[in-house]
Amino acid sequence: MENIYKPYLMEIKEIIDETPDTRTLRLQFKSEEDKKRFSFKAGQFAEYSVFGEGECTFCIASPPTRMDFIECSFKQVGKVTNALRRLNVGDTVGFRGPYGNWFPVEEMRGKNIVFIAGGIGLAPVRSVILNVLDRRKEFRDITIIYGARTVSDLVYKRELEEWQSRNDIRTVVTVDPGGETPDWKGEIGFVPTIVERISPKGENAVSIICGPPIMIKFTLPIMMKLGFKEDNIITTLENRMKCGLGKCGRCNIGNIYVCKDGPVFSYSQLKGLPQEY
Amino acid sequence: MEEYVISLEGIKGLLENLTREGFNIYAPSKNNDRFVKVKDIDEVALFPDRRPTDISAKECLFPKCEPVFYYKREKNNVEIVDIDPNGNKVLFGLKPCDAASFTIIHKVFNWDYKDKFYNKRFDNSLIIGLACTYLDDYCFCTSVGLSPVSTVGSDILLVRLSDVSFGVIVITDKGGQLVKRYPQLFEKGEPTKSKQVLDSIGGPARKFDHKKVKEWLDNNFETDFFNSIGDICVGCGQCTFVCPTCHCFDIVDEDYLYSEGRRMKNWDGCQFYLFTLHASGHNPRDTQYKRYRQRVNHKFKYYVDRFQEVLCTGCGRCSRGCPVSIDIGDIVSRISKLS
Repeated sequence: MENIYKPYLMEIKEIIDETPDTRTLRLQFKSEEDKKRFSFKAGQFAEYSVFGEGECTFCIASPPTRMDFIECSFKQVGKVTNALRRLNVGDTVGFRGPYGNWFPVEEMRGKNIVFIAGGIGLAPVRSVILNVLDRRKEFRDITIIYGARTVSDLVYKRELEEWQSRNDIRTVVTVDPGGETPDWKGEIGFVPTIVERISPKGENAVSIICGPPIMIKFTLPIMMKLGFKEDNIITTLENRMKCGLGKCGRCNIGNIYVCKDGPVFSYSQLKGLPQEY
Repeated sequence: MEEYVISLEGIKGLLENLTREGFNIYAPSKNNDRFVKVKDIDEVALFPDRRPTDISAKECLFPKCEPVFYYKREKNNVEIVDIDPNGNKVLFGLKPCDAASFTIIHKVFNWDYKDKFYNKRFDNSLIIGLACTYLDDYCFCTSVGLSPVSTVGSDILLVRLSDVSFGVIVITDKGGQLVKRYPQLFEKGEPTKSKQVLDSIGGPARKFDHKKVKEWLDNNFETDFFNSIGDICVGCGQCTFVCPTCHCFDIVDEDYLYSEGRRMKNWDGCQFYLFTLHASGHNPRDTQYKRYRQRVNHKFKYYVDRFQEVLCTGCGRCSRGCPVSIDIGDIVSRISKLS
């Protein structure tokens, strides 16, 4: 029987500082065998560990169409994320996964897609965006709306620029009022306001929304007004997790386990959950 | 089901033989606080009328703290050394409420991903139950589908017939093989005799319908019912630690040398604030009543929804040991009357 708590060993190949407190690690499997065995889908998460400090849970921020590296982005907040920040290129981290369900990318084929993200919420969405862009022809119109509190809080800046320069997708980047710099050329306003201004059509469309709860709360009514169906509004939930395997007992919301039944949920599923998240 | 009779001496002989086979015997300790490894077989006592041990037999298969692997750091590299739990165990003299707990938590440890630590220990264990005649105000096994004479979870169940003889009910193949290995110790018994004793045991006075509890919980998440309990509960979590079916755990690293350490799986409990605290500071179960609501729901609703089993064997430990006298049996029997 396999040891389900034993992680793969990964080497840090590159460190990218996204914002003053958010960092992306580019990881590579140390063993070729592990690399061959590993596969995942956009939206799934994993347990990353620093040996001697412990494990923590982030989504896989890179797409399944680019398997040379696994990328994760994290904010420095707790014990393990602080320890992760102390690591350098060439150091070893543990990686357990992939866990949970995924975004319904196959069902999104032939449809318009609207990505809406706030802050570090772009990380799980980025996995799908890159996945969809790598298979661009299978999807119709793609709109990306991304916002952060200030210009310096925007993550994946180099990719945002690349997406903005493409003419087969529409990318709108915004910062909260007061968060702009003198030379800021993007939008200024909260994400829900910008969504309303841009008004993507809900017909034959799927929307993926990730970000702080307050952003999601105010964006949802606008999406309903725009004609998106509840089943076609998709988001992710987060809860504290330890095992990721449906055993350690803490990530449940009512009788669903975020680690097994989630982290991806549709708005209609979300409405059926008790208010305990 | 086959039935035999074994004498008190025969039981001692059986345990001696099993020790010789390489089994470690686990039985209630002298002061009845927990199941411990038996050093002297003469000390093993069979009292069906003694109260359940303070801590359940769960820890024999799912220890409070256990390493899941060792690691060694060397410059940039890390080496992982896997661990396999080994050793054969006999869990001896379990009350039916303890034996049944393994059947219940077996499901969560085998749900999709199999936990080898629990499973290997379970596969290498022999569970010998003992029909129970201890009934107090906290017991409610008959309300959760079990009974003092339930065979669920045991490989063989012993029934005390007199001071010196015990009926033996064979339940599983593992139990049957044991009898076959030592035929000289077992006499063919009259099936009626054990049954007479079993029938005379009866059940605890507290009685409610667990289906009614679920029915009410299904429709009442937002409720004032748990508020007053949350005010009383001090959140010490002893109820989760003595429980034979609570299975929540934490995963933490422990360095024991500068460059070496182990990753541990430690018991954890839903009554603690830190259990669900996010790194951001947000906590979905930030007050005690929410954590108590979680415990009752997990046991009587969520686990039933997912595994069709009540996550409770009615042993009453949580109530017997509660420092502020919260009685979960009383709480759920009150709930059962609400629906």
